This record gives sequence, C-alpha cells and structure tokens, in this order.
Amino acid sequence: MSARVDVTTPEAAVPAVREPVGRRRVIGALTIALGLFIIFVFGFGSAGGAHSVVVFNPINLSSGAPWNLSNLTVLTRWWNVVLGLVALALGVETWVRRPAGALARFGVGGVMFFLALLLWSVRQPGPAPIGTINITSVLVNSSAVIMVLIFGSLSGVLCERSGVVNIAIEGQFIGGAVAGAMVDSTTNSFWLAALVGIIVGALVGWLLALLAVRYIADQIIIGVVIVTLMGSISSYLNIQVLAPYPNLNLGNQPSNVAIPLLYKIPVIGPTLFDENMFFYAAVALVALTSFGLFRTRWGLRVRSVGEHPKAAESVGINVARVRYSTVVLGGAVAGLGGVAFIATQGQFQPGITSGYGYIALAAMIFGKWKPSGAVVASILFGVSAYLVQNLQNSNVPISTEFLTMFPYLVTIAVVAGLIGRVRPPAADGVPYQRD
Amino acid sequence: MRVELKGITKRFGSFTANDQIDLVVEPGQIHCLLGENGAGKSTLMNVLFGLLRAEEGEILIDGTAVNFANSGDAVRHGIGMVHQHFMLVPVFTAAENVVLGFEPTRSFNRLDHKTANAQIHELSQKFGLEVDPDAVVENLSVGLQQRVEILKALSHDAELLILDEPTAVLTPQEIDALMEIMRSLARDGKSILFITHKLKEVRAVADVITVIRQGRVVDSVPPTESEGELASLMVGREVNLTVNKEVTPVGDVVLELRDVVVRDDRGLAVVNGVSLDVRAGEIVALAGVQGNGQTELAEAVAGLRRVESGTISLRGRDITNLSPREILDAGLGHVPEDRQRDGLVLSMSVADNLVLNTPRRAPFARRGTRNLTAVAANARDLVQRFDIRTSSIDATAGSLSGGNQQKVIVARELSRPLTCFMASQPTRGLDVGSIEYVHRQIVNQRNEGLGVFIISSELDEVVALGDRIAVMYAGKITGVVEPTTSREDIGLLMTGASVVDHV
Repeated sequence: MSARVDVTTPEAAVPAVREPVGRRRVIGALTIALGLFIIFVFGFGSAGGAHSVVVFNPINLSSGAPWNLSNLTVLTRWWNVVLGLVALALGVETWVRRPAGALARFGVGGVMFFLALLLWSVRQPGPAPIGTINITSVLVNSSAVIMVLIFGSLSGVLCERSGVVNIAIEGQFIGGAVAGAMVDSTTNSFWLAALVGIIVGALVGWLLALLAVRYIADQIIIGVVIVTLMGSISSYLNIQVLAPYPNLNLGNQPSNVAIPLLYKIPVIGPTLFDENMFFYAAVALVALTSFGLFRTRWGLRVRSVGEHPKAAESVGINVARVRYSTVVLGGAVAGLGGVAFIATQGQFQPGITSGYGYIALAAMIFGKWKPSGAVVASILFGVSAYLVQNLQNSNVPISTEFLTMFPYLVTIAVVAGLIGRVRPPAADGVPYQRD
Repeated sequence: MRVELKGITKRFGSFTANDQIDLVVEPGQIHCLLGENGAGKSTLMNVLFGLLRAEEGEILIDGTAVNFANSGDAVRHGIGMVHQHFMLVPVFTAAENVVLGFEPTRSFNRLDHKTANAQIHELSQKFGLEVDPDAVVENLSVGLQQRVEILKALSHDAELLILDEPTAVLTPQEIDALMEIMRSLARDGKSILFITHKLKEVRAVADVITVIRQGRVVDSVPPTESEGELASLMVGREVNLTVNKEVTPVGDVVLELRDVVVRDDRGLAVVNGVSLDVRAGEIVALAGVQGNGQTELAEAVAGLRRVESGTISLRGRDITNLSPREILDAGLGHVPEDRQRDGLVLSMSVADNLVLNTPRRAPFARRGTRNLTAVAANARDLVQRFDIRTSSIDATAGSLSGGNQQKVIVARELSRPLTCFMASQPTRGLDVGSIEYVHRQIVNQRNEGLGVFIISSELDEVVALGDRIAVMYAGKITGVVEPTTSREDIGLLMTGASVVDHV
C-alpha cells in the first residue's frame, strides 16, 4: 500500500494535462537539426584522415588506477557521421510519431552532440594520435559542478515545496563559500567548515523567511536583494580580511575517500566512488529529501502548505512555522553547497559562484520540483558547464567569450522552450495571510 | 453535542461583522443559518471553527466554555467544517487529504497509508459515503470532492458539522444527495449547522432556521415559514422574488456561435463544438454547473481566449479571434464573471472605471489627452441613472459594495451602443436588492430589443430570466429548453442526460 504514494505522486496527479502535440513536433525538428549539424559540421567538417583518441584511464587517482582500458582511436569523420545519424533517426521518429518520450529522445540527441563535439575538438590530422579526450576525467571533473548544482536545486525544491521561492540560493552559496574558506583555513577541518557553512546558509534562509513569511515582501525581489547583499559582503570581506590575511584563504581541498571495491569499477568508479565527503553528502541528501518529502508526515505537511496553505491551516498546521523551518533548512542545504563549492574550487574570490545558484534554480524547474529530477538536470547543466570550460583549452575555433555563454544559453532554452509548461506547487511564491 | 454561542461580537476595524450573536445547536439537529452575502454568516462560522477570534462572547460545548486558538483546537473539540471552497489539496489523494494534520505514522515519521486507507474505508462504510482513498482529488467530480471534505470532518470524530454554502457548486441531483446525507448524519446524532442564502434548501432540510442580517440575529423560525417571509426577514423589507417579463417580438440573430471549440489553460477542449443563437429581443440563459466550459466560452466570445475552431459572429460579422477591443467596438457588452479581477480596476476611481473601455474615444479623450471634464460628467450622469451608491465619483471602485461594483460595470457596458449584451454570473455574491436591480436592467435591455446572453450557474436565475435556456455539460450544449421546463429535467441536462422535448 505504501508504494502507492511514492515519489511519483505529484506527477501522477497531472493526467488531464495533455502535452501539446505541436511541441513534440518542434522537439523532433530540433533533434533532426542537431543530427544534421553533427553530420555536416562535426562529421564532414573533419578531414578524411583525421583521428580522435578516446582515453578511459584516469589521469591521477588518489588510489591509483586499479584497472587499465586501452585507448580507442577512431576516424573522426565517420564516427561523427554515425553519431549524427543516430540523432537524425531519433528526430525523424519523434517528428513522425510524436511519442510521449520526445524530450528523452532529444536528450539522447544532445548526448550524441556532446560526444561528437568532443571527438571533433580533439581531432588530429594523420594517423599519429596527439590530442585525446579523457572520458573519465570529463566525468570526474564535472562531478564537482554537478554536486554544487545538486545542493542548490535541493535547496530550491525544499523551499518551493513549502511555497517560498528561494531566489537567494546564490546568496547562500556565497555565504557558505566565504565562511567555508575562512573556517577551513583556520581550523584545517572541512567538518567545521561545513558546520559553519550550514549555519550561515540557514541564517540567510532565515532572513529570506523573515521577509517573505513574516513581512509578506515580494519573494523574487528580496531574494535578488539578498544575493546582492551577500555579494557585497563577500567583496568587503575579501578586501578587508582575505586579502591582508592570505592564510585565511588557503584554498585547501578535502581529500577523496574511496569506497572499497566500488571505486574499482572502470569509468564509473572514479566518478562516483572516489569522491570527497561533500559529494557523498549530496548523494545522501537527494535520497533523504526525496524520502522526507514524499514518504513522511513532515513531507506531506510541507507539500500541503506549498499547495493549499489554507487547507493546511484548517487542519491545524501552522503555515508560517512550516515555511520558516523549511526555508531555513533549504538555506542550510545551499550553505553546505557553498562550502562544497569552495572545497573543490580553491581560494575564494568575489563572483566565484558565477550564477550557479540561479542555474540550480533552473535545474529544479527542469527536474519538476522533485529531488530525483533535480539530479538529472544538475548532471545535464554540470556536464555542459564543464565541457565548455574544457573546450576553451583545446583547438576549437569558437571564441572563449561565446563558449562561456553556453551553459546559460542551455539553461534559457531548457527552461523556456523544451520542457514546456510544468506545474509548480500551487501556492509557490504566494504569501499566506490569515484573514 | 450541544453547542452554544453567547454574545459573539467580531469587528474588523470599525466594521462590526458579528454583533452579539446568540445561537444554540442541539444534538441531532439540522440548524440553518440563513442570511445574505455579507450578513456575517461566514465570519461567525470562522469564529466557531477557530479561524478567527471574537472580541466578545463565548462558545460553550455541552455547557463548558471553550477557547480555540486555531482550527486544530476546534477539531479536537468535535467541530468539523465543510468549507465552501474545499480545503482539499488537489494533487493529494483522498486518503492523504483526509488524514492531513492527523496522519498515522510508522517508524521514521513515515506515513502509514495502510492505516489511513483503512480509516477511510471504515468511515465510508459507517456513513455510506463511498470514496476511493487512492483517487487524486483533482480528478474527482465536485460532488465527490465534497464527500471527501465531509469524510475529513467526520474522521476527526466531529459531533458538530458546519456546512458553509455547500450547495453552490452542486447539480440539483447532487444537492438532493447531500441533503439525504445530512439527514442521515442527524439521525446518527450529529449536529449540523447549514449555512446558505438559498430559501428552497433551507425549507427542505432544516429543523430550525436562524436568520442573520447585518451581523445580528433577526429571528429563529421553523421551516414551515414561507419563502416570502424568509426572504423579507433576510433582506429586511418586502422582496419581489419573481421577475416580471412581458412577451416581446424576437428579431434577427445578433450573436451566432457555430461549432466553437475552446481550450482551457491546460490545453483541454473544455468547449467542444458549441453552436447557439441569440436573437434581438430575447434572453438566452446558459445554465450548467460551474466548470463545464461556460467560463471559457464567455472568454472566447469576449476575445479573451483563443477560439480553436468554429466561428463567432455578431450580427453577421465574423468576430472570431478578433482582439477584445475590436469585439467591444463591434457592439458586444460584457459583464465578466469575476468582477473584481476582470471587470474593474479596483484601485482606480469610479469615474475612470466607467470609461474603462472607451478612454481613447471622443469625448473622453482628444489627440491623446484625456478630457477629465467629460469623464466626470459621464460619471455623474451614470451614477445617477444607475443608482450607484458611492461617496463620490472619485472614490476607488474597490471601496464600493459588491452590488454597486456590479452596477458600475453594468452602467459602463450599457452606456455604449450595443448589439448584444453578455453577462457572466451577473448576480453572483450580490444581495437580494442588487439582484432585483440587475435583473430588471437585463429585462429592460431585452424589452428594448437587445439580444441578451446570460451565463449563470444559479438555476433560479436562469429560470427567472431566460426566454430560452441552453444547458451546458462537459463542453457541449446538452439541450435548449423553454423556461417552463421542470427543474428536474434541467437538472438532468446539467448532468449530461438528454431530455426529449427540445425546442
């Protein structure tokens, strides 16, 4: 019986919403365009004899590579043509049949696009391989950004499920990052840094809750103001404290903890099972949030407050208290995300979070306000952000400035166009007043 | 359980919503609270249910004074409330809604769905209210949603059940079923407080009727009192409950709908092939339970919603998918369903609201500059002609009573040359006096040869006004009948059944 009401409840509740068939056709057309682009730009755009080398062995693992996969050398043109044909076929199928899984097919097309882009960006003329792509390190290195986005989007899910829009995730990131850098540098303990980051994030969350729940201020505006405030505070601290006392901003990184046996799995092992404590915390939090929101009494009450606060109040649930506590909790999660960010990025500098708080919010929307969905979206955004950074270093004839726009363009495209209308909690962003 | 309210007084600022109200509900009694909108019924019930706190007075349960800090307290004292706007979370299941706030749990705070479902099953059996515990509430019909709401109240061992305007959203058949439920609950010893402004229902089901007017108890009477007497108690003066209409000649078709299909915000075809004619000099009333596509149809006619297919024409001119401005200029008068949201700008003055759809036209504006003298003259004229009670023409529309707000809209629409007049829920939430007035205006327009299209979910209104009655169900017209047709037959059409003698 308990399986009846699981994580899928909110989704199962929208059977009446007919996905417009026209939109699926558009997605099909986009997938076709993607396929054609891959074939003609990445495929025939590569010289006939060009090669790309794909490497699977990790570069430097704390535990050393317990396995060895030989490199794969491919003919760039023809591999990319095949990848393009896969995307093309999926696009044509989507265009003709307009299936319910149109978006998933587009996603596969997107993966093909990234793979082809990678092969193309490292192509070398002649048979002697020089440039390589290391699939394992792409994944390992993206995992840092993915982890931060997961913290952020979980924070968003928590707050918005209770009916408060948390635009201030970026501010909580900044707060956690500054505090984390300083605490870790002085105590040399990431545990203490995490604790202080959680407290700082919770305080920023409390400020948001105070203004949103108690003073019924516009949540979007105060959220943005809080981000600006935290940005200014971090600049001030940077100039007045971190710059004169560089030993408060050492840029330490936590060591990785390999999980016995599992870390030995090729490619996946180094990505998922040889990570730092923050990565494991993110994974645990996803499971915990999902369980909490959809299986427990606490979650039912939080969701009822986010959907129909009046109904919640009519059965004796204190709407303001639930919103306060959930937003503070959400702030704490994002604060921990800020510490995780600084733990993987090195020294703190103002602006270092570069809008990841907002991208996390987009990931939350893309994930349809569900922890599991937020993870998928975070992976999408995280990998594309990492790839772009990486492509800047290789021989791609696109300007760096344009490439840095890319993750944000992906965000806009995904949120505005591709997912179409998704249903947020009904009382999301609506202040509640007893009358 | 015997519940006694003693000297309850509730003020909002300088306004006294409840003034020294005394009320006693005996065990097993169906006690009706009758009063107009704004008489203070809902305020009183919110006080009794712990949602509001009274300034004076006390609540006694079986002789003991109680004090409710919130509705949870009221529930613990055996008071259950079925709200007019259901207090149900649409995306939750019936079971989740019923147990919300009182959830059975297992270890780690987990919800115990098994126990919850069993509880609901037991209640359903006991009171004969079948509901699928796993059904998602938003997929249930309104009648079933109300059943969930009642179960929710009963699940907390309610001994007194407050039903706040429970019939407003139901079909006549569902109303009958609800009354049967009320009677059977009363037989089980539950007390019922039934709040309404509908006279027929009160007389059908009540043991005692308490009438409230302007925050005070006017009288308590037995249900044998006639409808006329109840109405005058409620309003405070003699009321004419019928609309006088003379027979007038009917002219050409002014509004023609052909196979109109309209989608709602979710993309569903909620108006699915509607064809209907409104002729000059007649009132066509569109009946139907709220939510069967009437709202979307009206929006489509007014140009506020895209018409997917089909045509709408105004005196032969195709107005399908024209802009609202073009449609208004073509001669459609429109009184929207939600007057505060769509009919008025509440923060603007009465005078500005009276020219809201003609602000750019002479004499109200010239070369892009407003002529405030003309606007004020127009306002003074309309305020006087339509008897709009306002402190001044510069007062904000939001400061007016509901009835006077509606008069502003009606005055604005009728002060332009019209081909067809369309009004959605023209008297919703109005007091009896204003209803009389609006009805008279509508009939006058018809007598002067205007085609009138009324959309209403109040069966009384539809029958009183309509020269022809079209009934809408699930996006389709299920029948067009004479106003003499029995209420039962119209009720059946409202549930989708077809009736033989169409006109």
